This record gives sequence, C-alpha cells and structure tokens, in this order.
Amino acid sequence: MITLTIDGKQVEAKEGMTVLEAAKASGIHIPTLCHHPSLTPYGGCRLCLVEIEGARTLQPSCTMPAGNGMVIKTNTETVRTTRKFVLDMIFSERNHFCPYCEVSGGDCELQKSAYEQGMTHWSFQPNWIPFEVDASHPYIIMDQNRCILCRRCVRACAELVGNSTLGFEERGAKSQLIADLAVPLGESSCISCGTCVQVCPTGSLIDRWSAYRGLEKDVESHPTICVGCSIGCNIDVQTRNNSIVRIYGDWDGGVNGGVICKVGRFYPMTDQRERITSPMMRVDGQLKKVSWEEALEAIAKKLQPLAGKDGDGMAAVASTRLSTESLHLFKNIFKDGLKSSMVTTTEQGVNTSIFSKVAEQLGKPFEAKLDDVEKADLFIVVGADIVNEHEVIGFFVKRARLENSALYLVDQSTNSLENLADGVLRAESYGEIAKGIKAAMVKLGLAEDPSIQPDALLAEAVKATEISDEVFMKAAYAFASAQQPAIIMGSSVSEMQCIKEWVSLSEMIKGSMVTLKGGANSLAAAQYNLDTALKVNGHQAAFIALGDEDPTEKFNALFEKVSFLAVQATYVSRLSARADVVLPVQNWAEQNGHYLNSDGRLQESIAAITGPAYAWSNQQVLESLAKKLGVEAKSDWNAELHNRQAMVTIQ
Amino acid sequence: MTKPKISSDWMAGCSGCHMSLLDIDERIIKVAELADIRATPITDLKEPDEDGVAVGILEGGVNNTANEEQAHRMRSRCKILVALGDCAVFGGVPAMRNYFTLEESLRRAYIETESTDSEGKIPDDPELCVPTRVRALHEVVPVDLFVPGCPPDPDVIFYVLSELAQGRMPEIKEDMLHWH
Repeated sequence: MITLTIDGKQVEAKEGMTVLEAAKASGIHIPTLCHHPSLTPYGGCRLCLVEIEGARTLQPSCTMPAGNGMVIKTNTETVRTTRKFVLDMIFSERNHFCPYCEVSGGDCELQKSAYEQGMTHWSFQPNWIPFEVDASHPYIIMDQNRCILCRRCVRACAELVGNSTLGFEERGAKSQLIADLAVPLGESSCISCGTCVQVCPTGSLIDRWSAYRGLEKDVESHPTICVGCSIGCNIDVQTRNNSIVRIYGDWDGGVNGGVICKVGRFYPMTDQRERITSPMMRVDGQLKKVSWEEALEAIAKKLQPLAGKDGDGMAAVASTRLSTESLHLFKNIFKDGLKSSMVTTTEQGVNTSIFSKVAEQLGKPFEAKLDDVEKADLFIVVGADIVNEHEVIGFFVKRARLENSALYLVDQSTNSLENLADGVLRAESYGEIAKGIKAAMVKLGLAEDPSIQPDALLAEAVKATEISDEVFMKAAYAFASAQQPAIIMGSSVSEMQCIKEWVSLSEMIKGSMVTLKGGANSLAAAQYNLDTALKVNGHQAAFIALGDEDPTEKFNALFEKVSFLAVQATYVSRLSARADVVLPVQNWAEQNGHYLNSDGRLQESIAAITGPAYAWSNQQVLESLAKKLGVEAKSDWNAELHNRQAMVTIQ
Repeated sequence: MTKPKISSDWMAGCSGCHMSLLDIDERIIKVAELADIRATPITDLKEPDEDGVAVGILEGGVNNTANEEQAHRMRSRCKILVALGDCAVFGGVPAMRNYFTLEESLRRAYIETESTDSEGKIPDDPELCVPTRVRALHEVVPVDLFVPGCPPDPDVIFYVLSELAQGRMPEIKEDMLHWH
C-alpha cells in the first residue's frame, strides 16, 4: 500500500493504481471524458489534468501512476481554468450543437462536463467545417461532427471485442475515426456488436433503432439475460411505454462483462415478424379464431387417445428458447404423462447429446467454466465456428489474441478464424489429431503417458490425417508451453471416441475445455433428456412448443404427413399456417423463466415488457394443457436438472 | 430613481426564446414593476431607445447583413448585452446551413424546393440584405451575458430579468444551465 495526499487529504492506494483510481477510491471526484472503467486508460481528452507538486506541468490523472508521497491538488484555480479551456478546445474542434442531438439532455458526457464546469457558452468558434455522417451501416450511424476523438470506440472494438475494425487516420486537426482502411462502416469488417455505440460519450456513434426514443432518464432499466444462444449474456433491456428502446450489455455481468453481440443487441429491435393474435383452430380447412378453452380442449381430445402409442402415436418438440419451467412441464406432459417416445427439441440435441454421453461414460463433468476460457493464453478451437455463432466466446478469443495469446484451429474444413490463427490442423478425424498431438508431446518429453507408444501413435496419426509430424510437434510445443490453455469445442465433433481423446489431451496439457451448447436452454434440455434426434414416421399427431423461435423449412417439412399439428408460437410462420390448432404465446421479453447457460450457471430471464393480452406465457399454456390432460405438473424443474451426469458442473 | 430600461430584438431565431419569456406568465408584471420594458419584437416599439437602455436582449443567430446591423445597433445602445437562447449563444439550428455553401442553400430554398414552380428565382434586389454564414452573436459583437437553452426555461429567464432589473449580474449554473 502507498500513501499520497490529494487535496490535503491522506489517501491510501494500492501500488499500480493511477492517481484517478486512487482519488476515486477515496471519494474524490475528478472529471474525465475519454476514460472508461472497462477500457485501458488513454489520456487523450486532458480533462482529468491535476496539479502534482514538483511536476512542471499539469498531469493527466487517468494515466499517471500514483506514487508514494505524491501531493496532488485537483481543484485549484489553475486546474479549474484549464478544465474550461480543455472543453473549449474540444468544442471548437468540431460541430457540437446540442438542440438537435440524440443524446442531448442527459446522455451526453461532453455536455455534462460543460455543465459541471458552469460553462454558458463556447469561448472559441467552431471551425464550421462540415464533417461526414456515415449512415451506411444497418444498425450504427457514425456522425463525425460530434466525435471528440476520445478513442473509446477504438479501444472497445479492440480490447473488448477483439475485432479492431475502428481506427484513426491522419493527425492533429485532421484526425478522423475510420473503419478498416477508411471504408464506409456498412462495408467494413464490423460485426455489428454495437459495443462502440454503448461506450461513445457523445452522439457520434448512435444506434438507428434506438435514436431519439428515450434518454436514460426516460427509460426503465430491466436487467435480464439474452436468450440468443447458450452463453446467456447479462443484458439491460431499456423500455419506455412498454416498448423496448435499446438493449445494452451489463458491465457488471458475471458471464459477459458488458459485451454482447448483434443477436442480443440488434436482432430483437429489428424483429418485424407478424404475431399470432388469437388461439385458432382449423374449421373446414380454414384457421378460425376460437377461445383458449376450445383450443386446449381440441388438443387434449386428439392427444389423449394416442398416449403410450409408439411409432404411430404423437411427436412433441420444444424450442430450446423455452425456460426450464416450460421445458420441464413439456417433459412432464409428453414424456412422463402421455408417454410419447418422440419427445425432443428443435435442436435435436445436436450440440449436446454426444457430450452428455461422454460425461455419463466418464462419470464426471469434464468441462471448465467460461471464466477459465477468458483468462487463457492459448485457445484451441476444435470444430467450432465462434465468429458466426456464440459470438461472445469469439470476442474472448479474439481480444486475448491481441494480448499475445495464441490461437490454434482444429477443423475438418475452413474455419472462420483462419486468418487469425497461429496454427491450423485440418483433417477428417478430430480424434486422430488429438492422438497425434498427444504422441508428439510424449515423444518430445513434454508430457508423460506410459499407455502411449509415441512413435507408433504419431506415425498412425500422420498417416490418418495427412498432417506432417513437424506440424504435430510444433502444436505440441505450443500447447505444452501455454500456462492456461483452453479448448473450445463445437458440434462438428460428433464421435464419442474423438471427444474422449480431446478430454484426455486437455488433461495432459492441464487445459480448460468447454463445449458450445447451442440454444439458450440446450443444456437444460439435455438434462431433461430432451436431446434425441427427431424422426417423424407415421406419427398421427405432433405438438410443437415453438415459442418465439423461427422454424426452418427443413423442420416444417418433417410434419408434412402428420394429420394433427398443434403449434404454440409467438409469430406467424409456415408451420403455424399449416397447423390445426394454434396457441399464441409471449416472446422472450414478455415472460419470466430460468435458463441454464453453457457454464452450468442458472440465470433468470425477467420480463421487460408486458405482452399483448391475447398471448399467454409458454409456462401458462403448458400448465393449462397439463390440467386438461389430467397430467400432474410437477414443480421440481430445478432438482431434475441434476438428474443425469452433465458435462459441466451445474449450479 | 428611474427604472432600468430593457429592450429586446430577434434575428435568425424561431421566436421560441421570446415565447419562453412570455411563459413567465403573471411574473411579467413583477418585472414591469422593477424595470421599464421598452422595445421588443412583440410590443409596439421596435427599436431600442436611441439614448440607450440598460439591458439589451438578442435572440437568434446572425444570418445576414440585416442581422449584423441589428446586432451592432443593440450593442451600441445598451450597457449589458444578453445573448438569449442557443442560436444567439452558439449559432443554433440555423447554423446547420453552414454545412453547405451559400449558393447551395439559396438554390435549394428558392429554386429546388418541391413547392416551387418553374418560376423560382434567387432574389437579388439591391435593397435586400445579403445572406452570410450563420454566426453566434459574440462572433459579431461583445456579449456580456450568455443564457443558453433551446429555449431557456421561463424560470431561468425570469431569474435573469429580475436580477438585471435590480442591478445584479445573474449567475447561470446547475439546474438553470442547459444547452438543449
């Protein structure tokens, strides 16, 4: 611990803290603009300048390391005058007109800084040069007139997301924020995560779908989780008048630490699907509006006689976007109650079932947590696409790479991270690749395993994969020298033996292994044994608890020959249009429920808006259906999550 | 003792600041008790007294040579000049025109607008004032008090008028200070 004096007050600080951090820790406020707690300090705006005894000039407190015995003054006449001058300079650089700006009136940190300093006008004129407004991107508008060159967006794009799309060109007064090599944002390598919009202190980077719809003071904040994939990022859904205005990442989120991807941030804003507005039943070939009672009655009447029947009975499919409460009810009804032999999810366990089986065979969980992956210094991505799916894990990998973590890809075909990888191992058999690396490690003395004949195994692997032994040995060195290797495995790996080889390799290199589970509640579905392949073959009836998912054409085609189709869904689709009974339900933002994320973390999704009166929650529909069918709806959804050995420790 | 004289005028503004002034409602009687409200764009007298006023208030940015004359006239005839509203303080909404050349703006306004028939023509009568770049008031004349806001709150305007009427310089800060 070190001691310094700030404004006459003795302050204790940890070694390594900056003056700003030390001041903040002891309740002393120093204004900042380019600073952001989740980004490395930059020292660009100069608003945080303070007097330090002995220093020739004022120093930026955000980057100045706190020193033992330092005497600092944050509020002298000089400091106050300088702050006003700094702001005057910033204002004069570009065109900062408040009346027609989206963030004016409470969300602009530049404006708030000016108010804090009691500024009533600008001392210098703006240069009146018009700067570009780039509106080429589907979600983000970049208005150069409002940019204060703080570089928060550049730092966020690199440090939080690892994409490095944003940068700066030219110098001094000509400095300009650019995307890639100065191309329109809409044509750049931008992945639309929107983190830049969330950190921008002014109205320079704004989100076209939220702009002008509500300042922070106008909206209600709803902390909840995203149900876009199995990562389950912590988000803040901001609403106004029962409408979603914007979705932000929660900086304090235990899963994602503030970053979210376009699936969580922008897709819900642009969803324009038509809603199903009433329970409906097919009467004389046409779907007619009926009451809930009639619809549920019709379903029960059709399903009851099919109870216990095998191949010509009923099939039941649920979306992995449903909550654990709903999935559990679904299982109660169709598996336990009606004893159907075809009960599964729209995902058909494709991301989880093989891994569940491995865990059961091993008798213990073999996966680590996302936190372990985040801290890795070597990433081995095996048969997974983390650029187009589960994007936030991709962010962890890409941003760690910028801090000199290494990246190895193991894939059957081209992987989307190819141009960032330090090494690529490509072959049909994932298992053989693992064996080759293990063999190389033992051969090079980097690991011990008496059960392995290194030369023989390596030769076999080289033959089977057509990867040279040099490549195997290079990989072996890389894996062995990593302090905290992480293996991220996707659904492309489909053989139990292959997976076990990788589990064994992971143990050999003392690595953390995680698999991508797929949908928001795919792990919960796996735990409820709702992870079998969907085979519709002579089934007379099918019940699809679709929720707000969008069914694929391939999925719809499976039910062509089913004579009775009941669909519980939020939005109109080809599937609902063909159904015999349709039940309208709320979407993800309108209902409560629990979700088991990829890590085994149980989180609650809390409704942010009130859904329309005609829609019930998925849970309510299934509870009523259970009642109608005379099936006992048990409430031990949490306990039953532990019914089978999972690949990851479940909370 | 004679009551201090207050005079106001507007240039390239929307008159919203004066409307906000009127929004002080019955308090205008109090102001009138303390000060002598002389020329304003919404009362009978239109020009500030030739022998001078204590307080001159100008709304709107400086848009053309006529506005320049107004600004100079008010400055020369008042002791304390107040820039009222964002347009006078910063340039405001009309300043958006500065992003285009004068020719582009005039062509758009007089020839290209959808409601103009084929007879559109940019006025060039020598008796007309000449449009210029839009400027904040203090780019043209020295300003003594800045009252930002779009428009400034009626409460702020009342505070400013009553302070000035009693010979004090108002301090605009905290809740009263906003640029939007």
